[in-house]
Amino acid sequence: MADNITEIEEEEYTSQLTAPVFKRIVKLVSPYWSWVLGFVLTILAVSALDAYFTYLNKDIVDKGINLGDSATVMRLAGIYGGFILLQAAMVFGAIYLAGVLGERVQYDLRRNMFNHLQDLSLSYYSQMAVGRLMARVTSDSGRVSELVTWGVLDSTWAAVNITTSAIFMMIINWKLGLAVLLIVPVLMVIAVQFRKKILVEFRNSRRANSKITGAYNENIQGVRVVKALGREDQNLVEFQELTDKMYRASYRAAWLSALFLPAVQIVSSIALGGIIWYGGLQSQTGLLTIGGIQAFVGYLTFMLWPVQDLARVYSEMQHSIASAERIFKLLDTRPKVHNRPDAVAATSLLGKIEFDHVDFYYEDRKPVLTDFTLTVNPGETIALVGPTGGGKSTIVNLLCRFFEPQSGEIRIGDIDYTQFTLQSIHSRIGIVLQTPHLFSGSVRENIRYGKLDASDADVEEAAKIAGAHDFIVTLEKGYEQNVGEGGNLLSVGQKQLISLARAVLARPELFIMDEATSSVDTLTEALIQRGMEALMQGRTSFVIAHRLSTIRRADRILVIENGRIAEQGTHAELLRQRGHYYNLYTQQFRHQLEVQYGVDEEGIVETSEVSQTSDVLDEVAAD
Amino acid sequence: MTHQPQTFDFRQSLAAKSKLAGVWRMMTDYRLPYLLATVALAVSAASRTFTFILLRYFADVVLGAQTFAFSTLNQTLALIALAFVALACFEGFFSYLSGRLAAYTAEGITRRLRDYLFDHIQRLSFAYHSKTPTGDLIERVTSDVDSLRRFFSEQAIGVGRILLVFIINFVALLNLNPRLAWLSIVTIPVVLGVSLWFFKLVTKRYEQYQEQEAILSTTLQENLTGVRVVKAFARQDYEMGKFEKDNFEKFKRGKHLLKMHSLFWPLSDVVLGFQMLFGFVYGATLAINGDITVGTYVAYTGLITQLLWPIRNLGRIIVQASSGLVSYSRLMEIVKQDREALFEGRVQPEGQARGDLVFKDVSFMYSDGKSDVLKNVSFHVKPGQAVALLGSTGSGKTSLVNLLPRFHEYTGGSILLDGAELRDYPREYLRKQIGIVEQEPFLFSRSIRENITYGVGRDVSQEEIERAAKAAAIHEVIQSFPDGYNTLVGEKGVTLSGGQKQRVTIARTLLKNPRILILDDSTSSVDLETEAEIREALNSLMQNRTTFIIAHRIQSVMIADLILVLDKGEVVQMGTHDALLRQEFGIYRRIYDIQTRIDEELELEVARAGA
Repeated sequence: MADNITEIEEEEYTSQLTAPVFKRIVKLVSPYWSWVLGFVLTILAVSALDAYFTYLNKDIVDKGINLGDSATVMRLAGIYGGFILLQAAMVFGAIYLAGVLGERVQYDLRRNMFNHLQDLSLSYYSQMAVGRLMARVTSDSGRVSELVTWGVLDSTWAAVNITTSAIFMMIINWKLGLAVLLIVPVLMVIAVQFRKKILVEFRNSRRANSKITGAYNENIQGVRVVKALGREDQNLVEFQELTDKMYRASYRAAWLSALFLPAVQIVSSIALGGIIWYGGLQSQTGLLTIGGIQAFVGYLTFMLWPVQDLARVYSEMQHSIASAERIFKLLDTRPKVHNRPDAVAATSLLGKIEFDHVDFYYEDRKPVLTDFTLTVNPGETIALVGPTGGGKSTIVNLLCRFFEPQSGEIRIGDIDYTQFTLQSIHSRIGIVLQTPHLFSGSVRENIRYGKLDASDADVEEAAKIAGAHDFIVTLEKGYEQNVGEGGNLLSVGQKQLISLARAVLARPELFIMDEATSSVDTLTEALIQRGMEALMQGRTSFVIAHRLSTIRRADRILVIENGRIAEQGTHAELLRQRGHYYNLYTQQFRHQLEVQYGVDEEGIVETSEVSQTSDVLDEVAAD
Repeated sequence: MTHQPQTFDFRQSLAAKSKLAGVWRMMTDYRLPYLLATVALAVSAASRTFTFILLRYFADVVLGAQTFAFSTLNQTLALIALAFVALACFEGFFSYLSGRLAAYTAEGITRRLRDYLFDHIQRLSFAYHSKTPTGDLIERVTSDVDSLRRFFSEQAIGVGRILLVFIINFVALLNLNPRLAWLSIVTIPVVLGVSLWFFKLVTKRYEQYQEQEAILSTTLQENLTGVRVVKAFARQDYEMGKFEKDNFEKFKRGKHLLKMHSLFWPLSDVVLGFQMLFGFVYGATLAINGDITVGTYVAYTGLITQLLWPIRNLGRIIVQASSGLVSYSRLMEIVKQDREALFEGRVQPEGQARGDLVFKDVSFMYSDGKSDVLKNVSFHVKPGQAVALLGSTGSGKTSLVNLLPRFHEYTGGSILLDGAELRDYPREYLRKQIGIVEQEPFLFSRSIRENITYGVGRDVSQEEIERAAKAAAIHEVIQSFPDGYNTLVGEKGVTLSGGQKQRVTIARTLLKNPRILILDDSTSSVDLETEAEIREALNSLMQNRTTFIIAHRIQSVMIADLILVLDKGEVVQMGTHDALLRQEFGIYRRIYDIQTRIDEELELEVARAGA
C-alpha cells in the first residue's frame, strides 16, 4: 500500500521543460531518428488529408452538383478514393512507427535504469524505498516514452490539422478564414483551463482512492480488533468520509469533462453563426458558395478535436517531464562504492582480516561504528551477538564491502581492501541472510545462483552438503519444483537450507551468515546446523548468531553494543564475566530450551517473534 | 447535487435472474436520473441533427432562391445564424446534462457500493475472514468496483450514445431519401462484426502483454529486494541478462499488439471511408438528377459522418461492458455471504455483566466439520476470578476464548454467562463486556492516541489517556517519540515492538473497562525489565475482572484461580497450581519440571564455564 501512495505522490510533481532536460529527452530518441521522422511525416499526411477531404466535399458540391457535372463528381470521387487508401496507409505507418518506437524507448529506458541500478551501492538502496525505484522503472519510463511518441504524434496532428484547415479556409475566403482563426486561441485557453481543473480533481480522486484502499486493507486485516471492540459503526462513518471525498472529486471531474466539450462547441457555434450570416450575404454576391459554407462548417466542427488534443498533451507534458527528471537523476547517481582506477583482483580472502580504527555512519550521519578495531585470524569463526541496532549488520556490510568505512581501513591479508576489485571480493564471499532471499524459478535454479556453470550433479552435491537434498526430493517435482515469487511457496527453514546450498556451491573463502530468529521445526533446525558447520569448515566465518549451539561453537564471541565491542572472548570466558553476554545468553537460553523441550509433544511452540520478517533493507536502514 | 448517501441493500440484486437484471436492481433510486441522462442524450443528438436540417433549409431556401430583398435576407440570415447558436447551446446544454446525470448515477451507485462492501465485509463472520485472503478481497473491492463504475459511467451510456446517435441520424436520413439512407449503411454490420472480433482478440492479447509486464515487475522487485544477494554473489551480469530477457519479451508483445492496432484502424478507415464516398457519389448523382436538393445533399454529408464513424468503437465498448458484468458477478460473491447479527438476542441485558461463566460439555468444530477443536469442556469461573489456559499450539486455547465474544459459535454443550445462555446474548453486548489483549496485537496506522482510544466509544480526555498509558507502562515510551501521543504508528510513523504494541492495547483495554478479560500472555522474548513492566500492567488490568489467560509458562499461570491444561481440544487437567503440581504424572507437572530443569541447566552451564 505504501508503494502505491508514493507513486501517486510522485505523480503530483510537475516540471517545466528546461533546455538540458529537453536535450536529454531528444537524445533518448535520437538513435531512432528515422522512426520519429517517419511517424511525424505520416501523421502530417494524415492530418493534411483530413483537412483536404473537407475541401474535396466542397468541390463536389460547387463544381459537381451545382454545375450538374457528373463527370467532375466521378473524377473528384476517384481522387477521394485514392486519398482514402493513401491516408489508410499513412495511418498504418503512424500508429505502427509511433507505437513500436514507444515500446522501444520504454524498453531502452528500463534496461538502462536496471543495469545502472545493478552498479549502485547499497547505500543508495537504503535511502530509496523499493516502491519508488519500481515506480521509476515501470511508470516513469512509460510516461516519458509516451511523451516522445504519442505526445509528439498527437500534437503534430493537431497543429497540422489547425494549420491546414486554416490554409484551406483562407483559400475559400481569406477574411472569413482569418476570423475563424481568431477563435482558436480562445478555444485553447478554455481547453487548457478545463484540463487543469479536471486534472486537479483526478488527482484528488486518486488520492482518495488510495486512502480507500488503505482503509479496506486495514479493516480487513484488523477485523478481529474491529469486532472485538464493536467499532463497526464508527468505522463506517469514517469510511464514508473517504468515499464522500472520492465521490465529490470524481463527480466534479466527470461533470467538468462533460461541460468541457459543450463549452468549446458553444464558443465555436458563435463563429458558425457568424459564418452563416456573413456567408449568406456573401453568397448573394457570389463570393461564398454553398460548398464553401459547408466546408467552413466542417472545419469549425472538427477544429474541436485538435484543440482538445493540444490541451491534453500540454497538461500531461509537465508530469512527463517531472518523470524524465527523476529518471535522469537515477541514471546520474554514481555508486558510492566502486572500483578504484588502479584496483587489482584479490587472489584470496583467506588471509587475516583487520578492521583498523574504522568509523562508519549512514546517510543520517549518526555514528554507527566509532573507532572499531578487530583482527580475525584465517579460519576463525566469529559470532556477533547483541541488541538490534547495535551495529552487527553494519560490520557484516562493511566486511562485504557493500559499504566502505568513512575513516580507518579494512585489510584483508594486510592489504587495504579498497585496492581490490569489488567483483573479486564478492565472488569469494558466501552469504546467507536472515530472511533468505530466493528468486522465482525452480529449486535448482536458485541453488545454481551460487555458481552459474555448475552441473546438475554439482547442484545436488551442494544440496547434500547443506542438508537440503532430503527435503528437496520430497517435493512434488524435486529440484524442478517452483519456489514461487520470492520463494514464498517454501517455509522459512526450507528457504534457509536452499540458500545454504547456494552458498556451498559458490565455494566461498569467507562465509557470512545472519541467523534467523524465528524458530523452525527441530528437524530442519538440525539440518541447518549441520549445513552451517559444513560451510564454516576451514573458512573464516562471521555469524550474526541467535542460536546457542552456534554461539557456543564460535571461536570468538563479540558482543556488539552501540557500535563498539562491549565484550569479547570465548563462551566460557564471557559467561564467567557475568556481564552483557551473561544476560543475553541466559535469556536466550531459557527461551530456546523452552522451544526445544517443547511444552508440547510435536515440539513446536508458538513463536513470539513473528515480527522478524523484516526486509533486508529495513535492516540496513535500522542498523 | 451532493447529498447524504442513500443506503441500499445490495442483496436485492442477488434475487435477479440475470446479471443485467441484477445491475438494474442496483440502480434503484438512480433509475430516473439515468433515464433522464439517456433522454438528454437523445435531445442533444437530435439538436445536432437539426443543425444539419437547418443547414439544408439555409442552402435551399436562402442560398438557392435568389429572390430576397437585402433587408429580408439580412433578417432571415440573422435568424438562421441565431438558430444555429441556439441549437448549439441546446445541444451543449443537454450533452452536459446527460454527462452530469450519468456521472451522478455512476459515482452515486459506486459510493453506495463501496460503503456497503466496507460495512458488509467488516460484519462477515470470522469463518469467512479466516478462509478468504485479504489480497483477493482488496482486489475485488477496488478494481472490480471500478470496473463496474466504468460500466455505468462509460460503457452503458456509451452504447446508448452510439445507438441513439445512429437511430436519430438514420431517421433523419430516411426522411431525406430512404434509398440513399439504406445504401449508406450496408457495410455497418461488417464493421461492427469485425470490430467486435478485433476487440475481443486485442483484449486477450492485451492481457498477455499485461502478464508480461507483471513478470517484469516481479523480476525487478526480486532484484531490488535481493540486492544484497545479487551483490554478494556478484551476479549483476546474470541479473541484467534475466531482466533483458523479460524486458525484450514485453517489447515483443507490445509490438505485436501495436501491429494489430495499426492494421485494424486503417482497415476500418478504408471500409467506412469507401462507404461514405459511395454515399457521396450516389447522393451527388441524385442531386444532379434533381431527385434531391443541394441542401439535402449538404445535410446528408453532415449526417452520415455523424452516424458512421462511432460504429468502430461500438465493438470496444461492448467487449469492455462484458468485463464489467464479470466484475459484477465477482462482487456479488462477496455480497451473498451472510453477516453476523450484532444486536439480535433473546436476552437483552441492561448494565454490565457480572462475569460468572459456566462451561458445560462445550464442544466446537469448524463448519468444514472435519474434527472437534474442542470436546466436552466443562468448568466454572466466578466473577473476578482468573482462569489460565495452558497447552500447545492447536490444543484449542485460542478457539476456546474465541467462543466468548461469539467470534465462533460453539457447536455443542452450553455456556452460561450470568446464568443465561451465551448464544442468546447479542454479540454487540458481549463484545462490549470483553476486552482482549493479544500477544502481538494489530495496531492501526493512526496516531498512538487514536489507537489507545480506538473503539472506546466515548470522548476521552488527554488526562485519562495518559493515566491509562501510565498504568500500562507505555507512557514514557510514547513521550520519547518526537510527536508524543500524536506519533503515527506504522509505515509512515514509528514501528513499535511486539511488547510496545501489547502495552498500547493494555492501555486501550483499561479505558474500555470490560468485565471479562482475555489475555494472550506469552511474553517469552522481551527483555526481563520489560517483562516485569508488562506483568505489572497486566496485574492492574486484571483487578476485579473475570480473566482468561492464555499462556505457555507456569510462571504466568501460577496466580490463576483455576488452571485448565488443554490437549487436543480436551481439558486433561484442571485445578489450582498447587493441586496440579501434586498430580505427579500430569502434563502440568511435566511442564513445571522442564522449566525447573531449564533453570538448573543454566546454572550448570554457568558453573561449568566458571570452572
